Amino acid sequence: MTRSRHGSARIEFPNELDVLITREFDAPIALVFDVMTKPEHVSKWGATPPDQTKECSIDLRVGGAYHHVFVAGDGTECSFRGTYLEVEPPIRTVKTWLFDGWPDAEAVETMQLHETDGVTTLTVRLAFRDKAGRDHMTRFDGQQDSFDAMEDILRSLLGPTGTSPS
Amino acid sequence: MARSPTTSDVFNAIAEVRRREILDALMAGEKAVGTIVADLSLSQPQVSKHLRVLSEVGLVKCRAQGRHRLYSLEPARLRPLHEWLARYEQMWNERLDRMDDYLQELQRRESSSDT
Repeated sequence: MTRSRHGSARIEFPNELDVLITREFDAPIALVFDVMTKPEHVSKWGATPPDQTKECSIDLRVGGAYHHVFVAGDGTECSFRGTYLEVEPPIRTVKTWLFDGWPDAEAVETMQLHETDGVTTLTVRLAFRDKAGRDHMTRFDGQQDSFDAMEDILRSLLGPTGTSPS
Repeated sequence: MARSPTTSDVFNAIAEVRRREILDALMAGEKAVGTIVADLSLSQPQVSKHLRVLSEVGLVKCRAQGRHRLYSLEPARLRPLHEWLARYEQMWNERLDRMDDYLQELQRRESSSDT
């Protein structure tokens, strides 16, 4: 029985344009790679409840396209799409990343896997074309209101009174 | 460098790895510029430049003591930023936890079908 790794993802903002996510899994590298790159797997875990996967297509080759469509609880759809730039099973993929709602927020997502003693470390680096893109991303990938909340907080921090919310 | 009164300032301020190291160094308490220079093996002009950026966005404050300038954190100003980062982190955690559960389920299925 392995211990739970829930909640162990590390998120870093190494510079203005990048988001770096690291997480370990008790699974062999080939399986982790499949679960992240095969539509029959991604459609099982990719959507945040109550969202559901409506469509998931992945053409896993250089120049191949992928498209994920989600349906939210209220029936609205959103989708992510892009093109694979590098495909190196089972260790690495590089793909463009576009959220249909924010065509400006284009990013390049590098997914890298490394296995040691049966534990596979996943590293995802999202490199945004510009800072506005990164900020959109942090708003729209599942936490619709977080950017608004952050903006309010930062405004209050930067305001002349400097009052912080209690 | 032009200073714009936008919300990006705090992010710009903490986006620089050296500035995050300075914030870390100040976690232990108020420090003189010279102490930070010694702690981080940076040059005095570099540290001063970073401290100026951090002061401008209100993440650190400064007071004079004799001929020394002592810097300290404004923890109340950092806390909301931590809270926001924690929420973003939670979103990723939920997503990757779902993937983890799915991986474990696949492996359980595989091992039970082997027997």
